[in-house]
Amino acid sequence: MDKINVDHMLAIEEPFIKAPLEQLKRTVRQSQRQVERETAQVNAALKSLIKEGDSVAAGDMADTLDEQVGRLKELRRKLEEAKQEEALLIQRSKQRAADLHELNEFESSTQPEFQRWCRARLDRVLIDYMLRSGNVDTAHKLAASGGLEHFADTSLFALVMSIERELCEQHSCQGALQWCAENRSALRKIQSPLEFELRLQEFIEMIRASRTPEAIVYAKKHLTQWSDTQLPRIQRAMTLLAFSPGTRCPPYKSMFDEARWGQLALEFRSVIFQLFNLPAQPLLHLLLQTGLSALKTPACISDDSTEHNRNCPVCQIDTLGRLAKDLPLSHHVHSNLVCRITGERMNEDNPPMRLPNGYVYSLNALTEMAKLGGRVKCPRTGQAFAIADAKKLFIS
Amino acid sequence: MDALVRDCHKLSKHQAASTQKALSAVDFAIEQLEQVRTQLPTESSAVAHKEALEKAQAQIDSTHTIVSEQLKELYGNVSKYGKHVEKAFKMDLSFVSESRAFEDKKEILAQSILLHFLREGDFETGSSFAKEAGLELPRETQAQFEAMYNTVSAIRAPQHDLTPALAWAVQNREQLEAHGIMLEFELHRLRFLQLVEQGAPIEALGYARKWFPRFGRRKQDVPQPEENDGDVAMGEDDMLEDGHTGHRTETAAARAAMAHAAHSQLEEIEHLMGIFIFARRLDDSPYAGQFTAQRWEDGAHLFASAFCTLLGLSSSSPLSVTIGAGARALPIVCKVSGLLRDKRVEWSQQNELAVEVPLPDDMRFHSVFACPVSKEQATLENPPMMMPCGHVVCKASLDKLAKGVRPGAIASGRFKCPYCPGMSCLTDAKRVHF
Repeated sequence: MDKINVDHMLAIEEPFIKAPLEQLKRTVRQSQRQVERETAQVNAALKSLIKEGDSVAAGDMADTLDEQVGRLKELRRKLEEAKQEEALLIQRSKQRAADLHELNEFESSTQPEFQRWCRARLDRVLIDYMLRSGNVDTAHKLAASGGLEHFADTSLFALVMSIERELCEQHSCQGALQWCAENRSALRKIQSPLEFELRLQEFIEMIRASRTPEAIVYAKKHLTQWSDTQLPRIQRAMTLLAFSPGTRCPPYKSMFDEARWGQLALEFRSVIFQLFNLPAQPLLHLLLQTGLSALKTPACISDDSTEHNRNCPVCQIDTLGRLAKDLPLSHHVHSNLVCRITGERMNEDNPPMRLPNGYVYSLNALTEMAKLGGRVKCPRTGQAFAIADAKKLFIS
Repeated sequence: MDALVRDCHKLSKHQAASTQKALSAVDFAIEQLEQVRTQLPTESSAVAHKEALEKAQAQIDSTHTIVSEQLKELYGNVSKYGKHVEKAFKMDLSFVSESRAFEDKKEILAQSILLHFLREGDFETGSSFAKEAGLELPRETQAQFEAMYNTVSAIRAPQHDLTPALAWAVQNREQLEAHGIMLEFELHRLRFLQLVEQGAPIEALGYARKWFPRFGRRKQDVPQPEENDGDVAMGEDDMLEDGHTGHRTETAAARAAMAHAAHSQLEEIEHLMGIFIFARRLDDSPYAGQFTAQRWEDGAHLFASAFCTLLGLSSSSPLSVTIGAGARALPIVCKVSGLLRDKRVEWSQQNELAVEVPLPDDMRFHSVFACPVSKEQATLENPPMMMPCGHVVCKASLDKLAKGVRPGAIASGRFKCPYCPGMSCLTDAKRVHF
């Protein structure tokens, strides 16, 4: 049982490895687009200079050339930045893969090195939770104290937070729309209507501000491209033109609702997590839920507090026990007996012994007790017996 | 994983080279364009202008080709690595990530995390979290942990001062031994290594002479004071009062049972004393591994856990035990949820997990009896029963066995144990409490 199932341990680490990888892919793609765009612009400018030839005044030509040099310099700066980001992400991928590779070197789960590894894993799972829930300071402290900066996807979450804040607090779609533009092909691949929802929101805001003509122009430009998939909703959106923001008519009332901004933020988060291969919930939740379930036994939820074990997480009635309340119990097809006195496992080497009153303790516990006092006393009932009266049990 | 590490290594080399190429190509284009710009006033003929511009344009084109090619190649390598990652990880966590189980429990979760930081001695992170999440640090908890905080910070400080930790360990020696916690020896060991590291072998030797013999003796060699009888009586009272809220209660029985765990440290001491041969060249000695910075963290951790145990808290952090169990359970639950997806039953909504999650011994806290005949877990209504031969099955199985007896034997009501030749009848079976 002390063996480590490396395959299982690795199975849950997909987001850990994939987060930097997906970021890396996007960084390279973005550089590609930038290079395409900027060189095309410079090229076009030069072409027109060549074509117009003599008709261009020397001063204008110098200005255009200056402008193009500036453009190329800006491109170089951006490219260099992107390259640094790439190097960092590759480095991170390497460190993370190396961390997981370490698992192969452990032989037993009781080894101090393995326990150290597990502590670091808990820390990085907590860092992920802190970043997701916006406790950025705590995340940084935790990463710094354990030297785990390379395990924290800080910049990714900083982006998520800043766009979410813009949506919820400033009621602006700008950052989110820009992000959509940068990731358009990926969004199309997962058929996400996020961009449509954002455009719709801008449209709604124009109506709210009674900028009707502008809203119609906006709808023509931005909503019509979605007519293949979103036609009924576009129609409903256009109907909105007939209603005032104070309407009580159900579908339109909800479209004017300010809470839509919060929904957009949630939608944005779920889409960006999907793109970066992050689970919708923090890994901490998933591990806690399955872990508590695997540990939960009828004894943990018994009203009889003597059944509880203070070392058992589920028996912590004020904290983890409450989290475990509605989770499933663990499933057992094999017996597993733990001695109430020593906490040791009872098996062939340390067999369970039944005292005449029916209560069972390990042979080790009873022999040690007999050495001290001659007779053995049942801690649960207080009755004393001769150790010879204890009967060995066979558990198959 | 090894392959992925190698992939990353290659990727990083390739990326550095390609960065060089791409950036110098852009530099060259900038240079060319600037040259055209500076030559502009000196070249008066339109033909020369045109030529220079065309040359610049060709340069931009070739720069564009170089940079795009570099990026394309890089992207290709990244995708190749991505394919390997894809192959290495096939688990789809989305099967379990729909669970709403914690939706209304965010506060309790945050409290549990805060408590974890405190008991691990990570007070800075703890107070930062309390502030950000708007949690109250329970005053009594804070006071309880204050002593621990000072001691733990002394261990972690650059001088790694072990004095307060040792003083506490000596003060609580008996209790620590009763719990089988080897804190005192571990602290002496750290101090000894510290003296060696500081280049003070004479002091280290003196230290070893003073402190190690106590831990070198075998248990039976340690003179036992004549307090056995009284001690046992008191221990038993403790035991009853304490109920069984903790397995490792401070009872005489527990103390005795732990005695074999508190075995001699002789082997480790022998190992440590060998260090003097290498005192002048520790770095390339077999002892080099003893001097990692990590050892202070381990020491601080051991102290914190000992402190919590004596406070009556669990000996290791409940959060970390749960995450350890979760790391074993999650892949299994995930796989089964994937298989049962069509049934549309969310795993966390069921009464019991669909499969058994194998856990190591140190994550088992309660006895679980599963009837070997019916494979069902024992309950109050269906308790485990022992047959005279010592084999245990559930009551329901026992009843079935009794009904299934050979026709001729009905009168006697006797049946054979499924696991041995022993015969028994219903009235012989006795209730068992684990």
